Amino acid sequence: MKLRLNKAVVATSVGALLVAGVPLAGLASTSSAASAKATYTIGVEGPFSGSDANYGQYIYGGVQLAINAANASGKYKFILKPEKFDDQGSSSLSPAAAQKAVGTKNLVAVVGPAFSGASEAAAPYYSKAHVAEVSASATAVALASGTDSNFMRTIADDSVQGKADADYLVKVKGVKNLLVIGDASFYGAGLAKVVAADATADGATVTTASIPNVNTGGGGTTTEYAPAATGIATADPGAIFYGGYSPDFGLLLSALSSAGYTASAHVIMSGDGSNSPALITSTSPASAANGVYLSEGAAGKVNFLSGKLASEYFKLTKIKASVAEYAAQAYDATNAIIAALSKTSAPKSVSTMLRKEVVANLHKVDFKGITGTIAFAGDGDLRNDTGTSAISEVENGTITFLVNEG
Amino acid sequence: MGFEHFWLSGFDQIHTAFWTYLAVGLQNGAVYAMIAVGYTLVYGVLGLINFAHGEVFMCGGFAGVFLTRGILGDRVGTGWGSVGLILAGVLIGGLVSALVATGVERVAYRPLRQRHAPKLAFLISAIGMSFFLQTLAGKEFGYGVNIFPGQVFEPGQVLFVMFGTSIHTIAVVSIVAAIVMLVIADRIVRATRLGRGIRAVSQDAETSSLMGVNIDRTITITFILGGALAGAAGFLYSLQSGIVQNAGTEVGIYAFTAAVLGGIGNLRGAALGGLFIGLFGSFSVPFAFEGNIQWTEIYTFLILVLVLIIRPTGILGEKSGRTA
Repeated sequence: MKLRLNKAVVATSVGALLVAGVPLAGLASTSSAASAKATYTIGVEGPFSGSDANYGQYIYGGVQLAINAANASGKYKFILKPEKFDDQGSSSLSPAAAQKAVGTKNLVAVVGPAFSGASEAAAPYYSKAHVAEVSASATAVALASGTDSNFMRTIADDSVQGKADADYLVKVKGVKNLLVIGDASFYGAGLAKVVAADATADGATVTTASIPNVNTGGGGTTTEYAPAATGIATADPGAIFYGGYSPDFGLLLSALSSAGYTASAHVIMSGDGSNSPALITSTSPASAANGVYLSEGAAGKVNFLSGKLASEYFKLTKIKASVAEYAAQAYDATNAIIAALSKTSAPKSVSTMLRKEVVANLHKVDFKGITGTIAFAGDGDLRNDTGTSAISEVENGTITFLVNEG
Repeated sequence: MGFEHFWLSGFDQIHTAFWTYLAVGLQNGAVYAMIAVGYTLVYGVLGLINFAHGEVFMCGGFAGVFLTRGILGDRVGTGWGSVGLILAGVLIGGLVSALVATGVERVAYRPLRQRHAPKLAFLISAIGMSFFLQTLAGKEFGYGVNIFPGQVFEPGQVLFVMFGTSIHTIAVVSIVAAIVMLVIADRIVRATRLGRGIRAVSQDAETSSLMGVNIDRTITITFILGGALAGAAGFLYSLQSGIVQNAGTEVGIYAFTAAVLGGIGNLRGAALGGLFIGLFGSFSVPFAFEGNIQWTEIYTFLILVLVLIIRPTGILGEKSGRTA
């Protein structure tokens, strides 16, 4: 009896504490959030591990930069926080990342996916959940097909980059015989196709080849690079364009250099997928990458994330803004989402209705971002995507900006 | 040869670069052959395929890569220094892989053998070890991050010119190292007491144990021998391609194919099969349809199927029983 009484006393007091405590805790949390603001998550889908993790970090930094500025301004009815969803840049991992993202409470929209193949694979999951995906870096032409209203991007597609690359090779470098190699990935094969078509139109003789990549799901094997390089060196084309990513381009460059085909005697170029310091570490000897031309999907980095933004970016990420590819596009993509959100009533919790509203509002945004005017056409491409492509060259192991082409 | 017909003029290309294709093919073949021996030896004594063997190869590659990077830093090896570095890389690669192979045997094979587990259980535990090693390497050294060894010799160094073709040091090193080690392995299996043990266990494990052969010890030695060869191959492979956490999967499948092509359970067959696969891969590149390199795999495996239809037991044939 005595024992029971004690139990009852304990139970009652615990109950009383709970009853008293819950509202107190509730009050405490709302007051600390400074007025009754909703908290939303902006997802960032991209590679945060694996050989392309640097791209994920660059993009995430741009998103953080925009979110911090928005939160600090105090002019919005919501607080934002970023969250990473790692897909390693792989189309086989991105559906899982997308499912995790759409299942995340209070997630309103996603910056990304970063890679084109991953975007293609993730699209149905975002579409079904009505989550807007604003990619800062996925450039494959086919992504903005007009059938998926959730997809948008703050970067010009590969038709812009590919044309600029072809023009640079044929018109500036005077290339007559061009071998265009695709890596059999959604992005690499797509870019190769554009370059091949535009270089042919510019008057060059173009041969195409496909050397499937090893690292991003192309089904190739590393032992194939040496015989393939032998074939290329034998045919001795005046120039090579490679559509693909840096780890595989590095392997190909290594094999080409041991087969005696080098960038010092020929013209070798690749697109934004290879335009990363990772290319240098993936190439053996690293000097085999010297003289290689690299392009970027949109106008030069020169005016992006400059001045105060660049120093804030460095403070935030410890990454120099000048090497952080797509950080500027990610900054603009995040601001587009913020602009779309600010036109909603900013309810406390995220519903499908709010997500749909964000998608609809995104199609109406029109503001001057740091990369140019951010306004989306019906298919999700930038309305004004006739931008230029920044051409760089590897000089002594450093990627150095040369010129804006196109 | 008109450039516009680049990928179509297969015979023209072979005519132009026969010796280069041959050297590259032999270089890849040497690596496949050394790994294939490990598959075939383990199959010989256990009647099982060691599905973690590709990862054993990968571990040796990493060991050799880090050793040479540590010694060389940014320097480039020359002369006898290069020779010493190659020997060191091959030895450390072999040693580490032998240790890993022993570990695989202790963890994935021995406990199951002692409990008389069905064959399927061995298969699954080996696949488990394969995933474990690959994921561990990915966690430690990065997923999909290709790491190259130090420059043990001048990059793209040409050792000599034969029939007007530059033959690269890397090809010669791989081929010579493979020949030396395969001959040693062959001698061990054929002409030593140890090898007699291995052959005896292959033919009839139960009877050989009655005759005084220590089965556990013989099996361990088989794993060590196969592992050492795979590790040495790992380092040689890394000289060309660098090493990455999943290198064992793709190269392992080729080597396994080589072992079957040569006649599984047959050491010389595995070596021969490896060379064949390397050469098929290299010489089919000029015939890649519209320049798509994946056609080379189609050709290679088509030939494999044809060979096996004609000789179901492989080129040299699976010897009676499970002979090593």
